[in-house]
Amino acid sequence: MERERKLTVAILAMLVLVAIIAIVDITLKIEEKTSKEKKFIIPSTAGVGIVRVDGPIELSGPSNLFGKPSGAEAIVRRLRELEDDSNIKAIVVRINSPGGTVAATQEIYNKIMKLRAKNIPVVASLGDVAASGGYYVASACNYIFANQGTVTGSIGVIAYSPNLKRLFDKFGIQMNVIKSGKYKDILSSHRDMTSEERMLLQNLIDSSYNRFVKDVAIGRNISQDEVRAIADGRVMTGEMALAFKLVDATGTFEDAVDKARELAGLPVDCPVYDGSSSPIEEIFGTMNGIFKGITGSELYPSYKLEYRYMP
Amino acid sequence: MRLENFKTLTWADFFLYSIIDPRALMRRIIQREPDPFWLSFVVPAASALFSMLTLSLMGRQSSFFYHKMSYGWIFVFMVTIVLVFVYSSMVDAVAQAYGLGGRVKHLIPLINFSFMPQLFILPALYPFIVGNFAPFFFYVAASIAAFIWRILIVVQGISEMHSIDFGRALVIFILPAVALFVSLFLALIMLVTMIVSFLS
Repeated sequence: MERERKLTVAILAMLVLVAIIAIVDITLKIEEKTSKEKKFIIPSTAGVGIVRVDGPIELSGPSNLFGKPSGAEAIVRRLRELEDDSNIKAIVVRINSPGGTVAATQEIYNKIMKLRAKNIPVVASLGDVAASGGYYVASACNYIFANQGTVTGSIGVIAYSPNLKRLFDKFGIQMNVIKSGKYKDILSSHRDMTSEERMLLQNLIDSSYNRFVKDVAIGRNISQDEVRAIADGRVMTGEMALAFKLVDATGTFEDAVDKARELAGLPVDCPVYDGSSSPIEEIFGTMNGIFKGITGSELYPSYKLEYRYMP
Repeated sequence: MRLENFKTLTWADFFLYSIIDPRALMRRIIQREPDPFWLSFVVPAASALFSMLTLSLMGRQSSFFYHKMSYGWIFVFMVTIVLVFVYSSMVDAVAQAYGLGGRVKHLIPLINFSFMPQLFILPALYPFIVGNFAPFFFYVAASIAAFIWRILIVVQGISEMHSIDFGRALVIFILPAVALFVSLFLALIMLVTMIVSFLS
């Protein structure tokens, strides 16, 4: 009996040993994975930094469940981080955006122009769509790659609001408006727009449009007339954009990274630092908004001038 | 458990008999030499730990593992203990309904020790995980085998405790198991409905 008891204790000890081995095994795998992930997020040697411009551009986008901000401010912050890091010798801006608000787009554009002024090469890689404000951002870069099928162009400005006057009349709804000046309810949805208001807004649009054309011309180092010739809001493919000198070459994201390495004089195998989220953050980031109802802010109209492609 | 009892290794008999002879295990539980009540909780605690280790080894490793092994382990252990208490009480009630004596204090260690086969899933599966040779298939197969083994331990223990045949012991085992399964299933549906309605 004594022998059997000792054998049982030996079996129990073996189970404990297996558990310890399993814990060590998992811990080592986690360590290995974490260091591998860190290697591509925190720059340790000279390499290329990646910045992603995804979706409509607004100044402050919603934070995800981890409190990570999005929008132009987050993009500018990421650009500043890369600028401050001495190991970042070139930057690739991956753009997949139909554009967005004027101010937000200009913030990113100006930041990229500052990086160019500091002799940090910036290469744009256009994804599915890089139209209007998306292209505005790209035009600030030293070199632009577009895929053959990328939808780009749409150089122009738009502002819009629905005219619900006829609907209001049909239901007998009248709005009581008390205003301090005659233009205070400009773009109001419950009445027709006056010719004066239209002219006022048109001036606003023209001003933003001229800024757009001027900035594209500066960024692309071409004349404003060349830009104006195609700046009528038209969209085009990457191939067409190449013919109109809006992009420098057709190519993929990898081509853009290689070009950034070349412009910075980096070896072809230098690391690429992508500030993308951890897998868990990505999952929750994707889920963010799934269960979201309509918030108050979405119920109220907001007047926005946008560099945006609206199919 | 006293130190002299620990040195004599008599406590090891409970673990040994739970694997090789559940009827002898039940006799030792009734004898209470030493009292196995508190010792028996080591087995569900270890079982919770081993289950999480096995699943972590097969799944995607992330630093969430450390939360699983701390908070997760405590949570799973507590849930297991609650289920053991509830199930033991239900088995006892069914046994009394059959006109048999109620001995819930003997049932709890029996059910706790019946978790022993689950401890062997991890060492049995480890080579398949390391070799990446159909680990999920073998995990499911080993889990089913361990579950059947657990049932045999409990049923034989009940049979020995009440000196009844295997068939009657099986009925006493199954009735509360079905009731518990249905209750948990309904509770799960209610929980999911509540969460979905809360989120939407």
